[in-house]
Amino acid sequence: MKEEALEVIERALSQGRSSLVEYEAKRVLKAYGLPIPEEKLVENPDEAVEYANEIGYPVVLKLMSPQILHKSDAKVVALNVGTDEDLRKAWKEIHNNAKKYKDDAEIIGVLVAPMLKPGKEIIVGVTKDPQFGHALMFGLGGIFVEILKDVTFRIIPIEEKDAWEMIKNIKGYPILTGARGEPPADLEAIVDIMLRVSRLVRELESYIKEMDLNPVFVYPRGEGAAVVDARIILENH
Amino acid sequence: MDMEELFNPESIAIVGASAKPGKIGYSIMRNLVEYGYEGSIYPINIKGGEMTIKDRKFKVYKSVLDVPGKIDMAVVAVPAAHVPQVVDECGRKGVKVLPIISSGFGELGEEGKRIEQQLVEKARGYGMRVIGPNIFGVVYTPSKLNATFGPTDIIPGKLAFISQSGALGIALMGWTILEKIGLSALVSIGNKSDVDDADLLDYLEKDKNTEAILIYMEGIKDGRKFMQSAKRVSRKKPIVVIKAGRSERGARAVASHTGSLAGADRIYTAAFEQTGVLRAFSISEAFDWGRALSNLPEPQGDNVVIITNGGGVGVMATDACEEEGLKLYDNLEELKVFANYMPPFGSYKNPVDLTGMATAAEYEGALKTALAHPEMHAVVVLCCQTAILDAKDLADVLINAYTESGRKKPLVVAMVGGTEFREAINVLNENGIPTYPEPERAIGSIAALYRWHNWKTKEQVWRRP
Repeated sequence: MKEEALEVIERALSQGRSSLVEYEAKRVLKAYGLPIPEEKLVENPDEAVEYANEIGYPVVLKLMSPQILHKSDAKVVALNVGTDEDLRKAWKEIHNNAKKYKDDAEIIGVLVAPMLKPGKEIIVGVTKDPQFGHALMFGLGGIFVEILKDVTFRIIPIEEKDAWEMIKNIKGYPILTGARGEPPADLEAIVDIMLRVSRLVRELESYIKEMDLNPVFVYPRGEGAAVVDARIILENH
Repeated sequence: MDMEELFNPESIAIVGASAKPGKIGYSIMRNLVEYGYEGSIYPINIKGGEMTIKDRKFKVYKSVLDVPGKIDMAVVAVPAAHVPQVVDECGRKGVKVLPIISSGFGELGEEGKRIEQQLVEKARGYGMRVIGPNIFGVVYTPSKLNATFGPTDIIPGKLAFISQSGALGIALMGWTILEKIGLSALVSIGNKSDVDDADLLDYLEKDKNTEAILIYMEGIKDGRKFMQSAKRVSRKKPIVVIKAGRSERGARAVASHTGSLAGADRIYTAAFEQTGVLRAFSISEAFDWGRALSNLPEPQGDNVVIITNGGGVGVMATDACEEEGLKLYDNLEELKVFANYMPPFGSYKNPVDLTGMATAAEYEGALKTALAHPEMHAVVVLCCQTAILDAKDLADVLINAYTESGRKKPLVVAMVGGTEFREAINVLNENGIPTYPEPERAIGSIAALYRWHNWKTKEQVWRRP
């Protein structure tokens, strides 16, 4: 798994880049067994239509550019695309938006992915501290992380015990256990994600600087989770 | 790494010793003599001659190299410019540990750091360990060693205190005396150019005179090294850290969301939680906990019993227990036994209210009962000053009952009142029963003991939820 991930990282580094686009980040994560939805990087609208028909509509289009780290700010994501015609229209739109956002943005391709059914949003991230090295972060997504900063950290590597503690430590924990009659979320899937990220970072320590898996959708118990978006910032080599 | 000579040196040289009160070199000499250090003391001063400290006459040597016997520890208190030469001479003499009091090194900036590093390398070359520089010295009460320029009469006890800060460290030395907090060791580590928190934890882990460790910390250089030591030591002895500088590095440039949320303080918090370190948020809290952790045995179960003579403090203590997640024992059938020590209008429901009619005798009966009961695992005694409760009698019966029981369960006391109560608090603390002037502080301290105990238990047996 390390080789596969390294290949992606080395290529980005050889191109003088210090971050991975979503598609690349997800390949690195997938190499470590993280739950990445089936998706494909395509280079033209025909290919996109073909893949969309293969996986079935509705789909999501995300334009991949090393110069565009914040895709929603640049409006290069098209959600809930329902037909061939809509797809071609959306294709043009996100390319125009990319140009508007950054004229010389280099475009690697477009990621075509199935429109995932929504789950409880969580964020799993990695940061690097000058004294302690890499640390893992866990929190609920959306306003919980944006406004309430309801997150918890542990120094990597973590043990399974640490992962469970992190989940229980956040104030929003009851939201995951089934508040207001909702089914409890798949906590085992969250623990699994955290342990895999911890292992990934440990093995690729000298390459990884920071990382966001944001959001991750977590489904009811037994139904797993899916990494919706991911970003990896590389260490300067 | 062996640091035996830092705590149990057979001989000490004071480089920069002076007979002139007000000088640092005098204060260290005076403390060594007055605190009763029994090994050899060699004052070193370029002037030579003789000096008299507290009626004891010493020959003064011009250099450590002139001293006839061996020197285990050399305390260096000369101006920074002379330190490199002293380090050389100490190395050649075969000194083992070198607390460098002198300031004017790494704390001044890059150039100072460079000189400091050179000193450490030089010392290492001779197999010598450096403490500091920029420190106030070392205390180890079991060997009657007070090699500091702080207060003299440190109370012997089982809490080891490591301070990164000099001024605050000295101030707290005085404070521990006033507050009757017993110490096993006190080490000022200043710039931590060589010996750091982790090295001391490693030593104190095995020190039979130390039961708990308190660290005043501003920062650590090698977080991983600290974590490794702290996690291992926490399995045996509790560590309390008071970490200053919570607001540092607000605006670090980061590219990820995670990075923007990860101020240094949250990382410290994570490291402490992962290693069982108890983080205190004020000096009084840190020492409150340290007092309990260094004196009390671990609880054998979750059931806490509160014995009080006032409903008000009982309620406040109950609130504090709730906040801290402590479990109040609630088996009414068993609690009924406390009715023997209260008037009919008392309440044996936990908190057990002996009422304002209680004298030392009722407290004695209730405490003995709680200490002997197999389902009561920890005891909190609260007392408000009343006209009929004699503080001195109360302290006596509590000490006797606890000692007779073999001190097998944790016991904390809160005494709310005036001068007589304050005196009784001191007596109880001097006798190893952690006693506080407020119920919340007593509860907070026993809660710290439970937190450490629970972390330790979880380290040993953890079951997937």
